[in-house]
This record gives sequence, C-alpha cells and structure tokens, in this order.
Amino acid sequence: MSSHASDKFVYHEPGLQHQFEDMKQQEESVSIGMWMFLVQEIMFFGGLFTVYLVFRSKYPMAFAAGSNHLDAFWGGLNTLVLIVSSLTMALTVYYAQKGNRNMQVVLILLTMFFGAVFLGVKAIEYTSKYEDGLVPVAGLNKKVKENPNAEHGAAQAKPCYEMGHGAEHTYINPRGEFQWVDCSLVKVAEKGGFLTPEEKIGYYSNGDIDADKFRDKVRIFYWIYFVMTGLHALHMIVGIGLMTWLLWTAWKGTYSHDYFAPVEMSGLYWHFVDIVWIFLFPLLYLLGRHFLH
Amino acid sequence: MQNADAIITDSSGEPKVNYLTNGSTIKSWLLTKDHKRIAIMYLVSVSAFFLMGGLYAAAIRLELLTPASDLMESGTYNKAFTQHGVLMIFFFLIPAIPAILGNFLLPIMIGAKDLALPRINLLSLYFYWIGGGLTLYALLQGGVDTGWTFYTPYSTTFSNTFVMAVGLGIFINGFSSILTGLNFIVTVHTMRAPGMTWFRLPLFVWAQYATSLVMILGTPVIAITVLMLAIERAVHIGIFDPAIGGDPILFQHLFWFYSHPAVYIMILPGMGVISELVSNFSRKKIFGYEFIAFSSIAIAVFGFLVWGHHMFVSGQSIYAGLVFSFLTMVVAVPSAIKMFNWTATLYKGSILWNTPLLYAVGFLGLFLIGGLTGLFLGSIGLTVHLTDTYFVVAHFHYVMVGGQVIAYLGGLHYWWPKMTGKMYSEFWGKISAMLVFVGFNLTFFPQFILGYQGMPRRYASYPEELQVLNIFSTAGASVLGVGLMMPVVYLVHSLFFGKPAGDNPWMLPGLEWRTSSPPPTENFETMPVVTWEAYEFGEENGLDTEEARRREAVSTVS
Amino acid sequence: MSEKHIESGEGHIAIPGYLGVFAVLVVGTILTYWAATKDMDWIFPGANTLVALLIAFTKMTCVMLFFMHVYWSPKLIWLSAIASFFWLAIMFAYTMQDYLTRSSGVFST
Repeated sequence: MSSHASDKFVYHEPGLQHQFEDMKQQEESVSIGMWMFLVQEIMFFGGLFTVYLVFRSKYPMAFAAGSNHLDAFWGGLNTLVLIVSSLTMALTVYYAQKGNRNMQVVLILLTMFFGAVFLGVKAIEYTSKYEDGLVPVAGLNKKVKENPNAEHGAAQAKPCYEMGHGAEHTYINPRGEFQWVDCSLVKVAEKGGFLTPEEKIGYYSNGDIDADKFRDKVRIFYWIYFVMTGLHALHMIVGIGLMTWLLWTAWKGTYSHDYFAPVEMSGLYWHFVDIVWIFLFPLLYLLGRHFLH
Repeated sequence: MQNADAIITDSSGEPKVNYLTNGSTIKSWLLTKDHKRIAIMYLVSVSAFFLMGGLYAAAIRLELLTPASDLMESGTYNKAFTQHGVLMIFFFLIPAIPAILGNFLLPIMIGAKDLALPRINLLSLYFYWIGGGLTLYALLQGGVDTGWTFYTPYSTTFSNTFVMAVGLGIFINGFSSILTGLNFIVTVHTMRAPGMTWFRLPLFVWAQYATSLVMILGTPVIAITVLMLAIERAVHIGIFDPAIGGDPILFQHLFWFYSHPAVYIMILPGMGVISELVSNFSRKKIFGYEFIAFSSIAIAVFGFLVWGHHMFVSGQSIYAGLVFSFLTMVVAVPSAIKMFNWTATLYKGSILWNTPLLYAVGFLGLFLIGGLTGLFLGSIGLTVHLTDTYFVVAHFHYVMVGGQVIAYLGGLHYWWPKMTGKMYSEFWGKISAMLVFVGFNLTFFPQFILGYQGMPRRYASYPEELQVLNIFSTAGASVLGVGLMMPVVYLVHSLFFGKPAGDNPWMLPGLEWRTSSPPPTENFETMPVVTWEAYEFGEENGLDTEEARRREAVSTVS
Repeated sequence: MSEKHIESGEGHIAIPGYLGVFAVLVVGTILTYWAATKDMDWIFPGANTLVALLIAFTKMTCVMLFFMHVYWSPKLIWLSAIASFFWLAIMFAYTMQDYLTRSSGVFST
C-alpha cells in the first residue's frame, strides 16, 4: 500500500514481507525484535523492582507486616493458574508447529480462560483490600464504622494506639483513608532487637511506636503492591487481547509448520508475564510469614 | 538472496521513480512504510521542535542581557528554561540523528531494502507526534516550571504547572525512541547485504547500533519513573516525599539511570557521523576502525555505570560519590580513543574543505572542550564548587550543541544530496558553518568563566559585575541563531533551485553512494554484494567498473 | 546469522517434556510457600528471602529455557536474555551501593 513498487514483486511464500529475502530472515528478525521488546519490558519492570528493593531495605518490618495481610492463598493459587496457562501456551506453539488447528484453538481458549481466572482472582483480592481499607489512595477505601467488638478484619480491630476519644467517631476512616492497625510485628522485632536505624527513626516518636508513622511505611508497601500487580494485570489484559487475535487467526487455519511466528511471539510475551509473576509472588506475598509460625 | 531476481528493474525510458516521486498523496506519506519517507517526516517535525526550543533559548539569552529580571519575572523564566530543556532534549537531541539520518541511511548503508520492521518504524513516528502534541498542548496551556529533570518533591507536590501532561508526553515519546532502537538492532543483525560483514559496516552504523542498545536498556526506566512521578502527583502516597518516609534521591537515581546514558544517545550518533565525515573527506581509510567501533559499544556499556555523578551534592553517600567519580574518569577513555583516531585519520589525508568537513573539524575542537570540562565536573571535589553554576551549563552545551548539533548539521549537509538529489550552495554552507562555530564559542565560552565566578544556573537575575560576559554570551547567541537559520533558507532553496547532485557527488566508496540520488523506494535496483572493506579509497579498489568510469568522467570535468 | 536457527521446533522437547517442566514449576511454587513459613533466620538473617529468590530463579530459568525455547535459540537470544538481567543487576547494585553506605545504612561506619 505504501509503494506501488511492492506490487511488482513476485512473492515466493505467503506472509513474506517485501523487505525480506526469505522466510528464514523474516523469522529471525521477528524473533530478535520480540526479544529486544522483552529486554525493554524487563527494564521497565526493573524500575519498580528497584523501588521495591530500596524501600524493603529501609523498612523491612513494615514490608513484612504489610505482606502478612495479603492473602497468600489467593496469590499462590494465581501462581498455579498462571503456570497452567503457560503450559497451555507452550503447547499451543507446539501444535501450531504441527499445524493442528483444533488443538490450537482449544489450547488458546484454555490459555485465555486461565488468564481470565487470574484476573478474576486479582479482582477478588483488590475488593478485599478495598473492604479492609488497605488501598493506599485516600477515597478509594470502604468507610468502616468503628466497632471494637468485631470478630475479624484488619480495619475493624482495635487500633494499636489510642484514638482521640474526645470527638465522636462514626467512621474509622471518614474520608476512605488507608487504614493500618496491626503493629504486632514491630513490637516483636523491637524485642528481638533487629530494627534498622532507619526503622527506629521511621516508626518511633519519643521512643514509642508511632502508629501514624508506621502506617505511612506500610502504605508505601501497598503502593508498591498495587502498582506492580496493577501493571502486571495490565500486561495480562494486553496478553488476553493478543490471544483473542491469535484465536481468530488460528481458527482460520493460518499457522502451519512453515509459518507460526505470531503464535511463538505471543507465547514469548505470555511467558514473560508469567515470569514477572513468579517473582512478584514471593516478593510481595511471602515476606515475614515465618514470624507468624 | 537467491531471489534477488524478484526485483524487476525499471527498464523503460521514463525518469526513474524514486522514493519522493513514488506516490504524492497525503495518505502515501502518512501510511508509508518506507524508512526514507518516515525519516523525511521526522526531519520536518524535529526541525519544528528545534525551532521552538531555539525561541525559548533566545528568550532566555535576552532576559540575561541585563542583571535585573526585567524581561520576564522569575516564574516565567523558570518555565522558559524548562521548556527549552524539554523540547531540546526529548524532542530534538534524542531523535535528531537516529530518527532522521539513521532512519534514512542505516538500511541503505548495509544494503537492505528497508528496516526490518517498517510498521514499527511508522508507529514510532506516531508516538513521537502524540508525545510532542501532548507536550505542545501543555506549553500552550501554561507550561511547566520544574526544570527538565522533574526533581521531586517539587514536581510531585509543589509545582502547580502542567507536569502531568508533559510527563505523559515524555512517556509516550520514550516509546518512540525504544521502537527506533529495537528496529535498528534487528536490522543490523538480520538485514545486512551479502558480503557486508560486521567489520565492513560503516562506523555510523556501529554508532547507531550502540545508541540503540542504550535506547533499549535505558529508556524503559525513564518511562516507569515518569509513570511513578505521575502516580505520585495524582495520589500523594509519598514514595518520593521525605516527610512521610519516601525518598527524593530515589527519583534521582531512577531518573539518571536513564538520563545519563541518554546523553550518550545524544552524542554517540554524532560521533558516528563524525567518523564518516573525517574519513571520507580526508580520502583516507579511517585510523583504528575496530577501536572506534568498539569504543562506541564501550561508551554504551560504561555509560550505565556513572549516573551518580549528577548527584554528588544531592545527598547520596560519600562512598557512592567516590565510586561514580572514578567510573566517570573511566568512561572518558573510549571518547578519547575516538578523538585520537579521528585526528590520526586527518593526518596526511588529502583533505577536502567542504561544508561537512568544516562542521566535523568544529566538532573535534568543541567536543574536546566539552569532554575535558566533563572530567572537571566528574571529579567529586571540584564539583562541590561548580554544581549548578553556568560552568555546568557551558559544559553540556559544548557537548550537546558543539557535539551533537554540529555533527547533525554536518551529516545533514553531507547526505543532503543523497536525500534530495539536489546540491546545496557550498558558499553559503561554509559561511553558515563558520558563523555557527564563532557564534557558539562566543555564546558558551564566557559561561565557563561566569560559572567559575559563581553565577548559578536557573536564575533570572544576577549580580551586576557579571554583566559584561553575559552581554558577550547574548551577542554570540544572536550570531549562532543567524548561523542556524541560514541552512533552513539555503537548503530549502536548493530543493527548488539547486543543481542536480548526481549519484555520488563526493566520489566515495560507501554503499549509500552506489544507488541513485534520491534512492528508489527499495534502495537498490539489484541486491548489492559487498566485496570491499569500509572506507577503501585505493585506486578503484572495491568500486565496480561502472563506478570507476563515472569517477573518471567527473574528475576530468571538474 | 546463526546455523543454530530455530528449525521449526524439531529439536524441541515434546509433550512429556513440557509436562515435566510444568511439574517442576508446580513443585517450585508449593516449595516457595512451604519455605516461607519456616523460620530460617537461624542460618542467617534474611535466609528466607534468599531461598525464595533461588526458587524463583530456578522457575524462571525453566520457563525461559524450555517454554520460551531459549535453549534451542541462537546465541544472540541467550545474550539478550543474560544482558537484560545484567543491566538489572547494574541498576540494583549501583543504587544500593548508595543506600547501604548512607549514615543509616548497613555498611555505615
């Protein structure tokens, strides 16, 4: 379309772009291009991992406390779901190479299904964070009535500091602020004597634990949690969009032993997203679990 | 390679269709996948941004003519220098050589029909336009005043200007640069013509390759950093706010992890152009080809290890400062290797003093000063005195304007006959090159002295005893402005009235000179087979007989 | 550019191989969870994190080598995979060498 010169060409193979000599050159180019894209994706997430690293080294106890309030069951389940989807994706590529259209379609549908399950679980988790007042942005949390006799739930427990009892408290977080009441881990750490100097400045006022200061640090953990998982979920959504397109082309029987690069490239992307989660799961969900046992 | 016969050459008697005449509708430009058309569209857009950035520079120099802040108040001045920086760095210096000259020439130089991923190339142009459009929107709405570095917590918490829109513009523009780099890497790996081995690549291609590595590895980090800045600005969690446990230095680490290597994105392609100019205009095989090639890669790698030298006085630990200071000295080595090799190439060459070489020689002098003052600033002790003074301003203008802009102008003149098929006016070209050199030195050399005397950057007013040097600087800026505007006039003039340049006006062996000017859409009529080394100037050595005959014919005429 | 070009999956592991990798990944996930609940601070402080990261790296290597076919890919792919992690390491190491040597850092005097 760009050049009328291109229609003068005699294409020897379908799907060969005009700038290439043969399919081998095209496949090699596309594959290197995809890997370069993944390299830039790794650096993109790398910036966030650096932020994680810096703050975790500054405030390990706040990170451990925050992590303990993430549900490791859902996180672990999601890891397994993603691994299964990675397997189905790898098999899709395998069957695309074999030119088996039916297996491709089934496996792509399965991959999309597991991707959707992952996002569903993510939605459940985000909702529970909303209800517990753990979203770090003011106004995006459920307002929680003050109720000292509540059975469970972080926000409904009694705060670990004295609330200003002068005023009437209908809501613990009247503007939907971030809520944090659990200072138990810091107290354990203080007894064990392994708080860093940064933490001693960061959590304490006049030698006593200052719940407001501690809350700010935990909020940083939740900021990182939401940005990292949010960005990861965004990549999942893009991946599912890619799968939809792949489903359509596979349905038409586009891929065969000679031409399957789009399936393989989408597969690389999907596995990359999986790898990011493989790291996010232990780094976000499993910190300081051993303190609880 | 076997099906090179698939190319049907135009054997009819009509004038050959080249990339410019192949389709004239707007659609044929906007939806083109031809790297040369995309490069031309980049040329027009980047020049527009350069002009805008230049207007801000003029406003800044006018304001600094007098000690008082009389032309602009401080707030306006803050916006003026911020916008000058944002436009010049993100929308001129970074895309200038890679996206214009690189896009146009890299496939031709390696004997390919196009870049490996032409649609990605077009996408990168659209990203550039969208990012640029957003930035322009922000400037029209009232601009941004944080400095181009967007340091926190000022940019997240206090500035009430259009940080978000500009940040988003830079974020999107970043992907334009990533996609260009990605495309170049793939192209160099897979699209080389038969016989074009790695060590026969022109050094311009090596420099573009090294630049692309930095683009791929660095740019995503600025993207995520700007994204975090935007989130912080929107919701104020405080990861960059020291009042609630955040860390503003963390922003600087992430910012400079990209933005220091980014100065190599700006200078490396310029060095590639200079390698071409120096060798070709002294008619001599370049001295130390491998050293220049690998020093480009070395700069790309070492460039990632020195970012902390921007943060010597911003609160990073002394130990980190020492390490970064040491590594800064190390990164000077590959640049020095290049300087020595260029000089050795010029030595005993049969030099043609054409406009491109004038620019190249200007580059050697200016980049030398820029580079050496960089060592001053890289030594941690001296920096304490010089940080945030005009010494720093002068240093990076010597590298960026004296380096990249001059190399870009030299390259533009050098390849202008190839890009347009028309020869520019050599007379006006030389005048403009000399005006740029004189004007540039007059503008920025006094700033070294001003900085050493302690004039801080980013202020609209200054003590009266510094006025004389500032007047010199402003006077030089007007000369520089005239020198930079002149090419616009005579290059556009040459498009309509210039004499046809011929396929090989400089009589050079490079692959880009072995196709017609302007090149056809697929660059070569038959797949070239490379049998010569780079920069081989021996008697007809490596040139085919047709080429030798033509050289003979032209040399007898002139 | 390389003779070791991806030959349309002929050299790849077949379905049993993929299932084997899958089994390793599942076991790795369960192991990560189990290891996180055990207190390993008696070895040295932070041993839990190290173990978690080691398992994550193993899993990642499996996915990259076999699911992403790096094992059968040209050297350039190996290089780009390794280089990206090397550059990540640069970013981590040079940022942390500042934080850990601050007055409040681990290596402060």
